[in-house]
Amino acid sequence: MSNASPTAADRLLDRHRLRTFTDRFTRAIIIGGGVAIILAILGMCAFLVKEVLPLFQSPDAVQTQPIALSPVSGATSSPVMVGLDEHQELAYVVRGESLEFISISNKSLPQPNSQQQALTAAGSVTAVARALGKDHRLALGTDSGQVIPVSIEFVQEFSGETRSITPSVTTGEPVVVDPARRPIRRLAYQTTESGTRIAAVSEDQHFWLVGSRRVSRPDGTADTSVAQTELTAHISGQITALTFDSRGDTLFVGTDEGTVRQFDLRDPAQPVPAGTSLAFEKGEAVTALAPLIGDRAIAVGSATGQVAVWMPVRESADSNVIRMKAVHRFSPHAGAVTGITISQRDKGFITADAAGEIRLHHSTSEQTLLQLHPQQGPIRNVYFAPKADGIVGVTDTDRVIHYQIQNPHPEITWRTLFFPVWYEGYSEPDLVWQSSSGSDDFEPKLSLTPLIFGTLKGTVFALLLAVPFALLAAIYTAMFMHPSLRAKLKPTIEIMAALPTVVLGFLAGLWFAPVLERNFPAIAAMAIVLPLTIVVSALLFLVLPNSVRRRIRPGAEALLMVPVIIGVIWGCIEANSWWESILFDTPYKAWLEAHLGLRYDQRNALVVGAAMGFAIIPIIYSISEEALSNVPKNLIAGSLALGATRWQTLAHLVLISASPGIFSALMIGLGRAVGETMIVLMATGNTPIMDWSAFNGFRTLSANIAVEIPEAPHGGTLYRTLFLAGLLLFLVTFVINTGAELIRQRLRAKYSQF
Amino acid sequence: MRAWLKQFWATGDLFVWGCGAGLSLSLLMIGGLLFLILINGFGYFWPSDLIELTLKDGKHVIGQLAGEEVSPKGVPRIRVKVGNRDLYGLDYRWINTDQIVERSRPANLIILERREWGNFYGRVSALHKGDEVVTEGAASIQQALPPLLRQAAVPDSADAYSLLVADANGKEKSIPLEQVLRLLTPNDLSVLGKAWVYIGNVWAVLTTEPREANTEGGIFPAIFGTVMMVLIMTVIVMPFGVIGALYLREYARQGVIVRLVRIAVNNLAGVPSIVFGVFGLGFFVYGVGGTIDALWFSDRLPNPTFGTGGILWASLTLALLTVPVVIVSTEEGLAAVPREYREGSIGLGATKWETIWQVVLPAALPGILTGLILAMARAAGEVAPLMLTGVVKLAPALPIDGAWPFLHLDRKFMHLGFHIYDVGFQSPNVEAAKPMVYVTTLVLILVVVALNLAGIVLRNRVRKKYAGSAV
Repeated sequence: MSNASPTAADRLLDRHRLRTFTDRFTRAIIIGGGVAIILAILGMCAFLVKEVLPLFQSPDAVQTQPIALSPVSGATSSPVMVGLDEHQELAYVVRGESLEFISISNKSLPQPNSQQQALTAAGSVTAVARALGKDHRLALGTDSGQVIPVSIEFVQEFSGETRSITPSVTTGEPVVVDPARRPIRRLAYQTTESGTRIAAVSEDQHFWLVGSRRVSRPDGTADTSVAQTELTAHISGQITALTFDSRGDTLFVGTDEGTVRQFDLRDPAQPVPAGTSLAFEKGEAVTALAPLIGDRAIAVGSATGQVAVWMPVRESADSNVIRMKAVHRFSPHAGAVTGITISQRDKGFITADAAGEIRLHHSTSEQTLLQLHPQQGPIRNVYFAPKADGIVGVTDTDRVIHYQIQNPHPEITWRTLFFPVWYEGYSEPDLVWQSSSGSDDFEPKLSLTPLIFGTLKGTVFALLLAVPFALLAAIYTAMFMHPSLRAKLKPTIEIMAALPTVVLGFLAGLWFAPVLERNFPAIAAMAIVLPLTIVVSALLFLVLPNSVRRRIRPGAEALLMVPVIIGVIWGCIEANSWWESILFDTPYKAWLEAHLGLRYDQRNALVVGAAMGFAIIPIIYSISEEALSNVPKNLIAGSLALGATRWQTLAHLVLISASPGIFSALMIGLGRAVGETMIVLMATGNTPIMDWSAFNGFRTLSANIAVEIPEAPHGGTLYRTLFLAGLLLFLVTFVINTGAELIRQRLRAKYSQF
Repeated sequence: MRAWLKQFWATGDLFVWGCGAGLSLSLLMIGGLLFLILINGFGYFWPSDLIELTLKDGKHVIGQLAGEEVSPKGVPRIRVKVGNRDLYGLDYRWINTDQIVERSRPANLIILERREWGNFYGRVSALHKGDEVVTEGAASIQQALPPLLRQAAVPDSADAYSLLVADANGKEKSIPLEQVLRLLTPNDLSVLGKAWVYIGNVWAVLTTEPREANTEGGIFPAIFGTVMMVLIMTVIVMPFGVIGALYLREYARQGVIVRLVRIAVNNLAGVPSIVFGVFGLGFFVYGVGGTIDALWFSDRLPNPTFGTGGILWASLTLALLTVPVVIVSTEEGLAAVPREYREGSIGLGATKWETIWQVVLPAALPGILTGLILAMARAAGEVAPLMLTGVVKLAPALPIDGAWPFLHLDRKFMHLGFHIYDVGFQSPNVEAAKPMVYVTTLVLILVVVALNLAGIVLRNRVRKKYAGSAV
């Protein structure tokens, strides 16, 4: 060492430093990388939760600064109507004859940020109404019995990136509604493709209906016929609320006696009274009415602040009598309900009351999503923005209030996901999964319960088939089979476990399903004949003379059974029609339908059970075989030495000590069946029905994801609901597998003591 | 008797037999399944003889025998593949045996493989060029045809070649040569000749593009897509799996937390694959892909580049799905390396990393490879997650081509497993598509079984090698 030159020592030192550095560096990389990978793997669950959470977040409302309206003479007594464009930039307020535009976002109008104009000179305006729909079509009722249609349009203009919105107002020809020229007090208005409908209450409770119908002639010209009817005689009590539905086919009239009267206007010239219903028990005055989107249900508000949704319901499942019924009730307001406006997007609506509160409700999920207190006095009129993302209102103090609303998933609650929900058009609450349909005003019905049911059904059928086979095979392999055979068998079973499930699904759907349909009687017979044959052949073997028996080495029973089983299966299938006549009646499908009330679908639960059972047999087999064959040999030897037969040893010792392992095998098999996708997708009809019948299909959570997610818009309610289904699958399988793994580890520790 | 019964119950021989029967039934089911796939898959390529049937009503039928059975009404009948979809509409036909007067196998019957409408079965009478007859008779046409088929087809020109063919009942039809893929006279072929055709058919299926909504032609793009996807996945999963395992086994302090992490990682292998698909769609496709699009491909928006399913996202999703397999197997391999190896290495002055890199990893290599192969086998057979992350029924282009950057990770791809699902369940003519599905199934199973066998053999070797030396 003393001879070594300093440079050599330096080099050695350098080398040492480099090695130490490399060691530390790789250490850091592996620890960092390892932790990152494990976190990433475990982060999956967190990500799924993150995608699902918005479903259950309560909506958000942000109030913008209230804006004072310009003073108008006699404003407190004149009728008020407020509206908003779809980008929530411009609001309009009608007060009597005056129309005022107010810039909400302070963008679209130059200073001053409001514009006022007079709408009519035909007289003073005593009532205002707005037609349902996305357009802003209003009607003004005057003190001379006339109604003036007004249409407001918002024109978008782009200069580069900036958008400006210009309102344009069209005032139509006045229509004389009350021939006696009495002032109009209440008004309902609706425009449809074929014409307009006006319902008006004039001074002294005279009730008028005017319907115009445009009939196109073949030569291209159109003819408008106007029909005027007085309906005063049909109404008892004071009329306190009026509305049409969006097609103009029905007129709803609310009175101070608490009744809602309906008129059928399919022929506007001849309105037909279509029933009266009592909206509130105590006979409270109906102060607000609005049909929800789709025109089936109607939201009703009362003078004491009660809010309910009514819809036509069959009296019982098999009756043809349809009655209006209060299906959803909401927590009451503190004051009289002054206005209801519906969402153009979903079954939501907002209500405003005289105490100055605004609430956002969702009809189907029966929840009040928001309670807003603008603190600006009683609210005279509210409007729900066309995209259901904003609310404007006018208060008694002549202020415009505005809220921005974030409410992406109003229809989802734990209750709608898992419990029966009363949908429109149903005679009772029900569990339905139906995510899409052809029509526009369709309401998605997203109940996960039918899918969970389907998952359970598939799992049960799969386990019914797989467990007996897998356990019997495992017991035989572990206890009775010759070791040399066993060594060959295990890889075979492992390969079976690796068979792609898409292959099993394909064979189940395209090969097994038709075979089963054709030979169902024979296959049903096998369930009886096969066990019998096994018993008989075992007995036959036992009565054989010992000289023959000794030549067959123990552990070869399985091989001996192969030809017997093949023979039985072949025989049963050949005798299919005989079995059909013995077990059922020809044809068996008619018999099933007549005697058990079961319809036979080709792709049914039996087919799925067989295919999925096939898929989980190897898993259950491998794990339980491992548990059985790991039972300490000295225990078995002890039992045999004490004179127990191999069967007694198995039943009283091995099975009992291996039972936790077998249990965990079943759990893992169950976990696999719960999440299996391709087999279910291919071997059932994927109909989300809830029925335990073995002869019809079902839809599982996993198959549902595969079917629906390609069409689900990113971030939408369906998308998130499917993520929830994925999260459920994740959690269920993770819990099941963890439980099974812990049991196995405990068992291993126990065995290692021997 | 009673004593005998008592002894009978005690020995439990009956139950032993029952267990044996359970095992043999399970084995029979596996055997039957493989047999079914093999017969149908391999049978597809065999050019079976054409038969001509004369029916009672005087009509003739030409086709290949495709099955025999007794109908639900008790009448024996045969199933004949009659082809000629353009003339008959259906590819298969049931004929009651009592309707058949005569069965024959004339040597001049032909199978004409076409680009559209499936096969034509019948007779060929003449080869036309434009309007003039070039040659007549099946034998001479068969001689003249191969060079013509190799030429680039000139559609719609006046002197285009066409074949004049006739179906069983003499109905004539002129088929342009550009529609024709091949002309076969199976009844004229010897067994050797058929074997040659058979090999050609196998080759064609493995190397050509699909035709007619995937129900005919080859499955090359699906094979290519599957292999490509598995390879990309392997490249991703290997470093991650090995680093994860190294951390868990060599660096992390063994304790409750590591034990729990190990269980969690292990259990992830049991989480349904569709959940990984959902995660892949939400995280990779919309999350990462959407961000990449917004940052670098914003000029192509709203058409997504990476913000839609593609081979990269599918591979990443499957990598996540299979990383537990690699971690578990690598850990097993690391654990099997005898302590003396490490102690010897450290004792000679090596650092920890040097020990791992030069001693432990080489010794554990078979374990790592086993994990990788099992992961590849699992990935090759998975379909559900791919359906959400980028597989398509018909990809316009392969993920690799001659255009820069050669490997197109954003492209969608075809996959054998999805091909089975799509052709078997989504195609309009499932009956005609079935043989193709069997062939695809066969190829997929061969790939998966081969990978698995390799993994199992490798693992058994590792276990044997270290069985004695582990302390």
